[in-house]
Amino acid sequence: MLKKIGLEKLNEFVSALIEKGTLFAPVKGDAGVDFQEIKNAGDVTLDFYNTLQSPKCVFFPQTDDMVRYRLKKETTDIEEISLDFEPRIAFGIRPCDVKSFEIMDKLFTRGGIVDPYWESRRKNTTIMGYAFDAVDPADFYGAFGIHAADTTGSDVFMVKGEKNLLLKAITEKGEKLLSSVDTLEDALEEDRKYFEERLKKGAELETRTLSLEGVAGKLRDMFGSPYWEKVAAPCLNCGVCTFVCPTCHCFDIQDETLFGEGTRRKIWDSCMFTDFTLEASGHNPRTQKSQRLRQRVNHKFSYYVTNFEVTSCVGCGRCTRSCPVNIDILTVVEEAVESV
Amino acid sequence: MKDIENRLKQEAKRLLESGEAEVVLAYGRGYDEKHPMPYAAKAVSDVDNIVFDEYCTFNMTRYLTEYPLGTKIAIAVKSCDSRTLIVLMQEEKVKREDIVILGIPYRDMIDSKTGKAIDNSTACNLPNPVLYDILLGDEVTERDDGSPYDVLKELEEMELDVRWEFWSKEFSKCIRCYACRKACPMCYCDPCFIDQSQPRWADKSPSLESNLMFHLTRFYHLAGRCIDCGECSRACPVDIPLHLFHKKVSKECEEMFDQVSGMSLDDKQVMVDFKMEDSDEILL
Ligand code: SF4
Ligand code: SF4
Ligand code: SF4
Ligand code: SF4
Ligand code: SF4
Repeated sequence: MLKKIGLEKLNEFVSALIEKGTLFAPVKGDAGVDFQEIKNAGDVTLDFYNTLQSPKCVFFPQTDDMVRYRLKKETTDIEEISLDFEPRIAFGIRPCDVKSFEIMDKLFTRGGIVDPYWESRRKNTTIMGYAFDAVDPADFYGAFGIHAADTTGSDVFMVKGEKNLLLKAITEKGEKLLSSVDTLEDALEEDRKYFEERLKKGAELETRTLSLEGVAGKLRDMFGSPYWEKVAAPCLNCGVCTFVCPTCHCFDIQDETLFGEGTRRKIWDSCMFTDFTLEASGHNPRTQKSQRLRQRVNHKFSYYVTNFEVTSCVGCGRCTRSCPVNIDILTVVEEAVESV
Repeated sequence: MKDIENRLKQEAKRLLESGEAEVVLAYGRGYDEKHPMPYAAKAVSDVDNIVFDEYCTFNMTRYLTEYPLGTKIAIAVKSCDSRTLIVLMQEEKVKREDIVILGIPYRDMIDSKTGKAIDNSTACNLPNPVLYDILLGDEVTERDDGSPYDVLKELEEMELDVRWEFWSKEFSKCIRCYACRKACPMCYCDPCFIDQSQPRWADKSPSLESNLMFHLTRFYHLAGRCIDCGECSRACPVDIPLHLFHKKVSKECEEMFDQVSGMSLDDKQVMVDFKMEDSDEILL
């Protein structure tokens, strides 16, 4: 099923989507575009390269409340927060980011322990992928076999033309969504041609790349290499690279209480922070920044591969673009592999 | 600019060869031309990797406190960066005799994220380093850029509630990645108050309240010390104009105590000094 809507009617379409469920879509902010829950259809933009932060917030928000409580003298009242989420729609997700969901699924649902916070949102979300039409120099999703107009993992896939937004249903879920929105028109033969052409062109767009063969093993073998100290020298150990990353999933659990009332919540954490590995005894097994940078790189390109047979990176380039000192994870991995 | 790079390499080579410096803190190549990186040259063979161009905005003094006191370090500094050195020396975090200062006479660097020139609305942008041993080029001539506090005018003219709204909106954006703190050469505390868990000074989850707790405390810790390098704002992934707040505090400090931070090794910082003629305004 291929549908279309005139770009001037995007608002109408977005309003129709809001009726179908909680909508997350790209919104322009001061520093760039980011995914937000949409209340006003007019906030949504399709004019961006990629969002500053990843769309992981749709399933894994920075702060996720689990339990609310009130401390009393002898007892504590608790109220669990319901996981009955309304159906969700994630709109305008770039192909590399769509792939990140599948990578995160492995950890959150197939690692033997299911995270209900991720899973319950994930299973009732319809993903509307969105083709890139250019390549940023920081990107390297090609290394993971993803291309600029890759429809894999999307329920609906969208291509923006000069006048229209074309939408193709990829899965049954996507078909159901598209057929339930009557603001959409059926696509014509010329639209179909254009759509196919864009998919073909997308596959031809080249990003930076890297051969993943043997990388996981090599990284494991060079754990004690002085390379890490050299490459981590400029690193600030801030949380930017991990916070903007679609596949970083570490979180802390905190009780945040004020005057006896509080919330137990999941909050993003980062292996780049000093207190990430701080133990209750006061001992910290990772005191050096070289150890922390190594953890980030190895977790993604080695340990995750060992555990789940997939690299925990989709080459979206966000960490590189946002790093205040321009550390580029692709270069770090490349040079690591060359150094052994 | 190429001249500065060549001089930088020459001096680095000489200092490493003679053993005058164990490490040279400068700039190196990044993943493309517009994205150089901070670089620490430790051997003569590293010197070839040194670069200097208009994108080398980093304040390298941020790395000084990572080395044990007594390490012989040569460091490349632009104007604001040299002022940081003065503050760090006043605080005895580094010793004058351990540091060879390679001054870079250059202003109007370019922020690689925005592509725009850095002027005195986002940094101090003085033309020349204030303190140096070797100047890697001719002094840059003075130019009338106005005051680095001119940019505050708009904020200062806002009604209180409008200003509160402005800052509330800005601080609500904070994702607490701490890049601002980590990029700042004056934020060297270990542990930083915000990382402490006993007690926890502010919630770990971002909210306007906990973000304010973090930022306001940090702003106070920087009072009379911040030298307006603008690294904090440039590091921020969500573009919070932290430099405006720092500039405002600096301006107040100057007006109250008649001292500009990081301009002279003989000064005592305003927050650790007391003079009979000090302004009482701070108490009101
Ligand atoms: S790699 Fe860059 S973004 Fe990541 S912690 Fe280091 S300085 Fe921050
Ligand atoms: S590690 Fe960097 S490039 Fe890879 S997915 Fe995360 S942000 Fe994107
Ligand atoms: S790279 Fe670090 S923050 Fe990201 S998932 Fe791995 S351990 Fe967690
Ligand atoms: S607070 Fe910002 S402007 Fe001031 S010294 Fe620190 S990084 Fe530089
Ligand atoms: S760098 Fe920006 S987002 Fe990160 S903690 Fe500082 S102000 Fe907040």
